[in-house]
Amino acid sequence: MAELAQSASLEQIENVRVKVLGRGGELTELLRSMREVPAQERPAIGQLANQVKRDIEERIEVLKNELRRRALGESLARAPLDVTLPGVQFPRGHIHPLTQITERLLDIWAAMGFEVIPTPDIEDDFHNFGALNFPSDHPARDMQDTFFLGDGLLLRTHTSNGQIRVMERRQPPLAVVCPGACYRRDELSVRYSPMFSQIEGFAVDEFGKITMAHLKGALTEFLRAFFGPTSQVRFRASFFPFTEPSAEADVRCIFCAGTGCRVCKHSGWIEILGAGMIHPNVLRAVGYDPQRYSGFAFGMGVERLALIKLGVDDMRLFFENDLRFLTQF
Amino acid sequence: MKLPLSWLKEFVPGDLDPGVLTERLSMAGLEVEAVERLKPAFSDVVVAKVLRVERHPNAERLSVCEVDGGGAGRLNVVCGAPNVRAGMTSALAVVGARLAAEKNAGDQACGPALEAAVIRGVRSEGMLCSERELGLFDDHRGIVALPDDAPVGQSLADYLELDDCVFDVAVTPNRGDCLSILGLAREVAALLGRKLSPARTKRIRSVKRAAENSIAPIAIEITAPDLCPRYAALPMAKIAISDSPLWLRRRLKACGMRPVNNVVDVTNYLMLEIGQPLHAFDLDRLRQHRVIVRRAGEDRELETLDHVKRPLLKDDLVIADGEGPVAIAGVMGGLTSEVDNSTTRILLESAFFDPPSVTRTSRRLGLVSEASYRFERGVDRQGQIAALYRAAQLLSEVARGCEAGAVIDVEPQPQPIRQVEFSTKLITGLLGAAIPAGEAARRLRALGIKVKRTGKDSLEAVIPSFRADLREGADLAEEVARLTGLADIPTLPCRPSAEVGGEDQRRELLRAIGERLSACGLSEIKSLAFTAPEENRTFGRLQGTGPVKVTNPLSAELSELRQSLICGLVAALRFNLRREAQACHLFELGKVFYREHDELREGLRVAALSYGELAFRGLGERGRRADLFTLKGMIEGCLDTLGLVDKAEFVRLPGELAPYLHPGTATDVRLKTGGLLGRLGELHPELALTLEVDYPVAVCELDVGELITYGSLRKPVAPPPRFPAVRRDLALLLDRDFPAAQVRSVIAQADASLLESVELFDVYEGGSLPAGKKSVAVTCRYRAKDRTLTDQEVNLLHATVTSFAIERLGAVPR
Ligand SMILES: [Zn+2]
Repeated sequence: MAELAQSASLEQIENVRVKVLGRGGELTELLRSMREVPAQERPAIGQLANQVKRDIEERIEVLKNELRRRALGESLARAPLDVTLPGVQFPRGHIHPLTQITERLLDIWAAMGFEVIPTPDIEDDFHNFGALNFPSDHPARDMQDTFFLGDGLLLRTHTSNGQIRVMERRQPPLAVVCPGACYRRDELSVRYSPMFSQIEGFAVDEFGKITMAHLKGALTEFLRAFFGPTSQVRFRASFFPFTEPSAEADVRCIFCAGTGCRVCKHSGWIEILGAGMIHPNVLRAVGYDPQRYSGFAFGMGVERLALIKLGVDDMRLFFENDLRFLTQF
Repeated sequence: MKLPLSWLKEFVPGDLDPGVLTERLSMAGLEVEAVERLKPAFSDVVVAKVLRVERHPNAERLSVCEVDGGGAGRLNVVCGAPNVRAGMTSALAVVGARLAAEKNAGDQACGPALEAAVIRGVRSEGMLCSERELGLFDDHRGIVALPDDAPVGQSLADYLELDDCVFDVAVTPNRGDCLSILGLAREVAALLGRKLSPARTKRIRSVKRAAENSIAPIAIEITAPDLCPRYAALPMAKIAISDSPLWLRRRLKACGMRPVNNVVDVTNYLMLEIGQPLHAFDLDRLRQHRVIVRRAGEDRELETLDHVKRPLLKDDLVIADGEGPVAIAGVMGGLTSEVDNSTTRILLESAFFDPPSVTRTSRRLGLVSEASYRFERGVDRQGQIAALYRAAQLLSEVARGCEAGAVIDVEPQPQPIRQVEFSTKLITGLLGAAIPAGEAARRLRALGIKVKRTGKDSLEAVIPSFRADLREGADLAEEVARLTGLADIPTLPCRPSAEVGGEDQRRELLRAIGERLSACGLSEIKSLAFTAPEENRTFGRLQGTGPVKVTNPLSAELSELRQSLICGLVAALRFNLRREAQACHLFELGKVFYREHDELREGLRVAALSYGELAFRGLGERGRRADLFTLKGMIEGCLDTLGLVDKAEFVRLPGELAPYLHPGTATDVRLKTGGLLGRLGELHPELALTLEVDYPVAVCELDVGELITYGSLRKPVAPPPRFPAVRRDLALLLDRDFPAAQVRSVIAQADASLLESVELFDVYEGGSLPAGKKSVAVTCRYRAKDRTLTDQEVNLLHATVTSFAIERLGAVPR
């Protein structure tokens, strides 16, 4: 008890507790030695011993509470912290903006029932051009200056090879998006990059089930999901070798709301993506009968969408990997 | 293609609003990229006739002229131009006129207002102007000479159509027919529901026929009919080479072409107007007066108009005379047969060349001319003869006194007329819009397509010779849709009936890898896939593989495809260290490329680089510096996410297999079942030296293909255990080189079903330990599912485990 009274800390109290009440403690040993006590004395001595044990325990509890209260008081009396000091830094990495945008785009298409299928970057002429109705020695190929790898292989200039790769091994109905890197012989500059990413999408079903009207519907739904539900969308006739009819989809300029600015070249509209009904020659190239099947295809540039969405105007930002840029996302 | 509004109006008369035109063309697939407003660089200048010219009484070089300015009256004008003569029509700036400032000819800025003046004692009430003074062209040799029929008194700006609007139309490669004013006018007329006026010149003049004997007979022969199905030519005599009239030069300039002389200008003018490129040979320089359209064959070289010697391949199509090539067909004329100031007789060529042949030759030579651009995209298959007649007509206007011979027309392979049958069902099936047969036919006819109804729903279209792009029903469906700018196509919800396949698991895994690494503090980068050969040699070496080389790289530094992502990460580290960065924690997910057994392959990888302090520090504290183990921890976390942490092991790798790694840190990440997942280590000190870094740079690269194959996000879920575990520690003395992980894995094999886990908690060497030894301490955790284990049970179990460990590891207990 005297030891207890002198105990100034919770730790010391615990030591006393162990010494007296713990396994092999003084009182425990005392209780254990009860066997040696005559049977008729045992209840009385046992009662006494238990009484002592309870007393000690109570005393310990009181002391502990007193010590805790004292500690509380000390803690409250402590000088206040300078709460303006910075918090502890935690590690945080950043996902590249192009990845974030790509994921967002794929999420939208996946929610609309499109399957995401990866396709190769290294291609042959047939899958990148021939099957997509780009005749050899045709100026349509000039639109896409190609990197060649020898042996008739090249780096794909668009993700449209995905159409051929998937249709070759599968039968309609199909609804597919193929994301990936593409390559064209442009120096890295404000507007171009020799490597960029696209998302190609297409849907094929029995002739007449998927029409230009459904293409308009799908793209409108997609563009509103990406740019906001009130976005205005328009479609213009265009040309791509692998679609007929071809169209381009524009969105009302999100920077000037259509009144005209530098970004939309004062047209009030921003060109977003190209699309169209899959050309009969493309269907023939993969062994589909164009009288039996038809479908639409579309392609969009991820960097372009990212630039518009983020409101920046320099393609190089995506590839020079300046952490001061990347850590903003 | 530049389209001046004034020129367009010759084919589509009446009011045309530039805004409406821009909108309609763009919606129909002919995007107007820019609209340029042209304005005269002067004001108050009129067409005037010089009536009388007299020498200035007080100045030898000056003349005093009486000029009829129409409404401006008859004026007395002092003029210093050497070419002024009575009877000529010129440009008169009246009092109050403003002229282009001398310095900026062609600029729209106007100089000060002209005042009446007394020049050497003679009053001058105006000024006859040179082209430079009007800001038109740079000619300042004399005053402007206008054609005799220019209307006196008319504003010069009106006469020359200087107040104009030029549309820059982006013509897609399928629409060669729209590379002319006529072709675009046809579109405009169809889009606006107007009538297309037939082509006409402003000033129709009958062409004088040359006398039989004034032009020697020309023999034309085509020996490559597959590359040239039609070649027509027109000889002309009594040509006087001079400048073209201002109106013609003005139009060429508005379309971005440079005037040369009247003959060349006429060929260019007609190419712009009707789309048929023409070439003028000096007839007297065509040896033997023969023209042979043939493959180059043995001829190896031709010097073109631009004084460049062009190499020829045997299949290049050339125009030859009796002795050799004089032009590269459809691309550029030769120097020897060029029209120059001494030319008096010409041969005008108007041909149809096989588009792929022109494309091949022009691409190979890197020579794209206005002519080759049109031939490649296909000119009107039947337009050759009409172009020659128009040229003769125009030449008789701009090269007065010229005479035309007879058109020579060689067409070994006439083009059959193409007919396309299609049904409205096809249109409806593609467009999703029900457009009645009559309406479809009306729209197609507006574009110059002859359409016949052959049944209730079926139509037959006769494709005009200028629309080689229309081949089947889908093409006609596009024309029908295009004319209203796709406006009649409804917007229908699209719900594909296709079932989604199983490849989304892949996307989830990729996303999980990125999220896990970024949660560890790594930021994602994206590098170009192109790299330098030495980078691949340093980082890419994997046994049995080689680099993929780009045949036509942008530069030597970008001439191979990366074999490893680490080169991109190191480049990013270098980039950021130069830009204020103290630490750099990066990862990249991307493809690598390599050659294996002569096959080009690509694989998806994830790589990480970690340098400098990691976050998780308070003010004034240092964060832990990245090294092998911080990065290993991140990799383990990533493997854990993919359910692979127990299936993978980290194995020391002989340094020479990964020369970019510090040999003491080089590590393979393997599947215990065999198979390499990737590599890990600290960058070799020699490489680190070039980066000027102060601490270790930890790098790793994993094969995502393998991670996806073996990994899964679907982990079994178990409720927490109901009974407590009992822990017992075990310390063993082992050889220093013995891998600690093996201690754990060996003990885990002990025959004790209640041994739940074995965790390493301390490795210690030195001190009182014998040299070459280390102490490895593990905690063994025992747990039963159905009860609390008693001390005795655990002691027994642990004794078994201990003796198993000592026996299997050859260790000494401590
Ligand atoms: Zn805008």
